Amino acid sequence: MSGLSRRLRGILGNAAATDARAASLGLLLMFLAPALLFYAGFAVYPVLRTFYNSFHAIRPQGVVEFVGIGNFRSILFADPTFWKAVGNTALFTVIATLVDVFGGLLLALCLFARAPSAGLLRVIWFTPVLMSYVVVGVIWVWIYDYDWGLANAILHWIGLGAYEQSWLGHPSTALWSVMGAHIWKWLGFNMIVFLAALYALPGEVLGAAELDNCGWVAKLFYIIIPMLRATIVNLLVLSFIGKMMVFDLVWIMTGGGPLWSTETVSTYVYKRAFDWNTFDLGYPSAIAVLWFVIILAFIAIMTRLLRQRDRLEF
Amino acid sequence: MQPRLAPLRRVPLAAFALFYTIVSGGPFLWVAVMSLRTTAEIFKNPYGPPSPAHWEKFTDAWDKSNYHTYFWNSVVVVTIAVVLVTVIGAMAAHCLARYRFRGSRLVRFLILSGLVLPPQLLILALFQILLDIHLYNTLTGLIVVYVATHIAMTVYILEGFFAQIPQDLFDAAKMDGYSDLEIFWRITMPVGAPAIFTTVTLNFIILWNEFLFAVVLLTDDDKRTLPLGIMHFMGSHQLDVGMVATGLMIAIVPVLLIYGFFSETMIKGMTAGAVR
Repeated sequence: MSGLSRRLRGILGNAAATDARAASLGLLLMFLAPALLFYAGFAVYPVLRTFYNSFHAIRPQGVVEFVGIGNFRSILFADPTFWKAVGNTALFTVIATLVDVFGGLLLALCLFARAPSAGLLRVIWFTPVLMSYVVVGVIWVWIYDYDWGLANAILHWIGLGAYEQSWLGHPSTALWSVMGAHIWKWLGFNMIVFLAALYALPGEVLGAAELDNCGWVAKLFYIIIPMLRATIVNLLVLSFIGKMMVFDLVWIMTGGGPLWSTETVSTYVYKRAFDWNTFDLGYPSAIAVLWFVIILAFIAIMTRLLRQRDRLEF
Repeated sequence: MQPRLAPLRRVPLAAFALFYTIVSGGPFLWVAVMSLRTTAEIFKNPYGPPSPAHWEKFTDAWDKSNYHTYFWNSVVVVTIAVVLVTVIGAMAAHCLARYRFRGSRLVRFLILSGLVLPPQLLILALFQILLDIHLYNTLTGLIVVYVATHIAMTVYILEGFFAQIPQDLFDAAKMDGYSDLEIFWRITMPVGAPAIFTTVTLNFIILWNEFLFAVVLLTDDDKRTLPLGIMHFMGSHQLDVGMVATGLMIAIVPVLLIYGFFSETMIKGMTAGAVR
């Protein structure tokens, strides 16, 4: 169509048609329907079905039996494995979240303080974030290998051979070892976000601090951390969600063993659904629902506690 | 203004930087070296150099196992899912950013609430649903799930960017007689290209690495995607460390290549959700 006829149609069309913000229902549907259909069918509906499942016993051959809050009662009061998994996940979440976020801040400050060739380092330090859990998991299984792993080799080299051990094979070290790998994968992510936030800080404030002969530590605690508060909260929440749901790396490295020492809520859900011969999808669904509610509650508490204090203006 | 450090303080800083570079990059280097050595050589000295370099191990890994199948499955699933989620997400984002209509806030809330849905809450029901509609253990089923679960993030990033495109541009296009579809295709898409590129790289990396949905929804060996394939390969070649290292490298190299070219975009994409 030529530009002229287009223009003519534009002029001749009624006023409503030239309001670029108005749209007919058909048009809206055309734009939104694909997204809504996919989303409704394979995200909203599954969530609703999981909630439905959690109040039922779902057995093979489509046998569905209403059990009310029976699943939840068993989980809370008669399932020691669940509580073991909760304990592991809680420990994992608290430690790994704190180390990831504040370690990431440390790395970001390191680059921000103009470490030599910071641009290149930033790219290298971010690399683990891009690797799949399978790649990271296999690499770390090797690092922790008793016979030829890097961890024991380093201990041997620096004369701490007495501490050599089977890192993933022993219940007292397995969870910490998996945690180490998880932290290693995500540190770079937190670093990059902090770095972006640091560069967005107003230069005058840091400059003024410098003029006042403010030391590095004081500058960090009195200026940088308060000004980064929003970023810190965001990252704490993001990291918290990720760790509370941790599955892949645990599954790949230890499968929850040895002796449930690395069992997390997510791996337990998976096992109850597909590995154990309980043949009931209702029970693991109830665990997933319960855990989701707990996560939401914690997010609400965290954002309230951390955000509402006196806001910094700059 | 950036903080400056006295020269004396730069030494520990540089030392720490070097230390963390080794910690974060070292393991990859180790795998890269091992991928060129045979298992016998590795067991003799796990940290030796790759001499002679056994390049033929790459063709062996590719040909003598199902590796090429895993690789192509991943390519097919990820490509189709990324294209679909980008187009569908861009349409929805355009609609939410451009038009005023009753219920737009509800639709936005509905779609963006997907940002907080953990996969663990969906996975058991998705397993049932895909069984019901006969898409369980098919690549199509996995693609559909990937699209559905990544729409929220795609719309979130794109809508934020599309909303910043000046309205004048659209008014002018409307005056010129562009249809609404033309406006989407010839204005929003090209002007929003940087944001679209960001979501494409982000979705690509996430889906290329995705494990949980794949492990639950696929069972046949010839349907496995790369992450599952490596797991399987690792299981069946447990003691053949050299071969597993080669397999890992085949999975790492595409990501590293793309990262090498687009590191800025990928970093931006990965952090787009966290920085506001």
